[in-house]
Amino acid sequence: MKIHKFFAWLALAIGLIYFFVPLIAVFEFSLRMRRGVYSFDAYQSVFSDIQFRETFGFSMLMALLTIVFGMLLVVPTAYWVRLRVPQVRPLIEFITLMPLVIPAIVIVFGYLRLYNSSSWLPFTGSIQGTNALLVLSYMTLSLPYMYRSVDTAMRAIDVRTLTEAAEILGARWTTIMFRCIFPNVMSGVLSGAFITFAIVMGEFTMAALLNRPAFGPYLQLVGANKAYEPSALAIIAFAITWLSMGLLQLVSRFSKMAPSRP
Amino acid sequence: MSFLVLQNIKKSFGQVQVVKDFNMSIEKGEFISFLGPSGCGKTTILRMVAGFETPSDGTIVINGKDQSRLKTNQRNIGMVFQAYALFPNMNVFDNVAFGLKVAGKSKAEIGPRVTEMLKLIHLEHLADRYPYQMSGGQQQRVALARALAPMPQVLLLDEPLSALDAKIRVSLREEIRQIQRQLGITTIFVTHDQEEALSISDRIVVMNAGRADQIGTPSEIYNRPTTRFVASFVGTLNMIEAVVADPANNTVKIGEQTVTLREPIAERKGGDALTLALRPEAGSIAEGAKGDTALSGDVVSSHFLGSVIRTRISVGGNQVSFDMFNAPDVKQPAPGERVTLRFAATDLLVVRE
Repeated sequence: MKIHKFFAWLALAIGLIYFFVPLIAVFEFSLRMRRGVYSFDAYQSVFSDIQFRETFGFSMLMALLTIVFGMLLVVPTAYWVRLRVPQVRPLIEFITLMPLVIPAIVIVFGYLRLYNSSSWLPFTGSIQGTNALLVLSYMTLSLPYMYRSVDTAMRAIDVRTLTEAAEILGARWTTIMFRCIFPNVMSGVLSGAFITFAIVMGEFTMAALLNRPAFGPYLQLVGANKAYEPSALAIIAFAITWLSMGLLQLVSRFSKMAPSRP
Repeated sequence: MSFLVLQNIKKSFGQVQVVKDFNMSIEKGEFISFLGPSGCGKTTILRMVAGFETPSDGTIVINGKDQSRLKTNQRNIGMVFQAYALFPNMNVFDNVAFGLKVAGKSKAEIGPRVTEMLKLIHLEHLADRYPYQMSGGQQQRVALARALAPMPQVLLLDEPLSALDAKIRVSLREEIRQIQRQLGITTIFVTHDQEEALSISDRIVVMNAGRADQIGTPSEIYNRPTTRFVASFVGTLNMIEAVVADPANNTVKIGEQTVTLREPIAERKGGDALTLALRPEAGSIAEGAKGDTALSGDVVSSHFLGSVIRTRISVGGNQVSFDMFNAPDVKQPAPGERVTLRFAATDLLVVRE
């Protein structure tokens, strides 16, 4: 029993060392910009860089748009699959898992072939169009996480009976969706939103190949040209991801809307 | 014309016909229970009235208006579900107010109406609570108030008490009946619990395999079951196999004993097999017991159940149970003892298959 416990702790310690030592090293390196003393100069340099603010702001906007449009696509889809066409559920699950199996570079090349400036839908013909295509491609990337989190939240409430209860009280489709279903799957929606936010903030392939000024390509650019700033940026990116994860935990812990059920 | 008319209703799911030519007329303010085992079609009929299912054939008319072309949200029907189905994101007040808000009522109308409904269910002090903060019984009362708030023309109750514990079940069913009487609302109640149906209904529809086997008052259903299914499903009933002795004189033979029935059996032939039903509480073996009919038999078993003593006797190959009220001076029959069970001939019923 004691030996088992020892090995369990040993495995945990190895895991923690493997994960934290490089991180601590990166953090330590990011503080060495000023010769001989530790300082936050690298961070100051990053934050004072106008390109950092522009790319960070751009990626934030893209992330927000991805979350809003992603939810408008995923929540009604998950709802209809659950309520009206449960037989297509395996197909939908397969489709939502595709972005995990198809590399982002393949997807974006497909987009460029389909939506280039000489195609029927010339998304890449204008900046706004390319931005829209970027949002759509981010929606595709986040689909596996969004769909799963919303579907899990829907499993926790009796969607069919709630719909019928609202319907018999005179509610129309839009009222049912926005007043009875959306608020009750909010924990799933927010979970999906935070994961999406983390993905979009660090995404490189789509933004680079669509030539948009996003945070991911900026990270790569700084990494190729500077010494200490990339380490500071890596820590900042980690902090963003951890903040998203923390908020996700907070939302799921404080979600008090337990379903009404016998 | 009746308030709610179900005419030639049929419903099939694929090849399976779950409701077979169902007809019924319900008067305004009546409390009707649909009673039957799982899969008999009672909930399907309820869902067709609500508009959740479309009949394969037949019409549903409420207050003279055909409901066929109306969607669920246009029918003005209230419904209480087995699973409560309260909106988890809304408190009690908002749940009850939901139907009124959807109907576009003003705040000045909604407030007093919700308060009135909450008073009706004695939960006005819990208006700010969320469903997860309430017990099952409280949630179901809120669901009832929510269904009644928009003043529906018909109230549908889909096994609303099934998920509750026994004590709450009894008190809530009495409360439901009292509220229904107070408001005079036409109500259809679906249940598989015979005691529930018998205790609160004006009329009961006993459903079997998609058909109404018998429609009648609780007393008729309990005391005068017309089919073997109704007799066996409602209460505990003795089924006694008999043979027609003399159809003209209404006599039958149970084993070697001859009994005269009150129900005419002239259409049957001598020697025909016949099933008779007798309630366990209809007979007595006490000395000087009243009854114009008697059956003698040997005691097979006798069990003391507290308020009653249930004894089983063997009569002409049939096992007949009967109950005696317990009292300090009542002697419990011993197995093997020969006893005579006396009862009124009117209690012996001929049942159809």
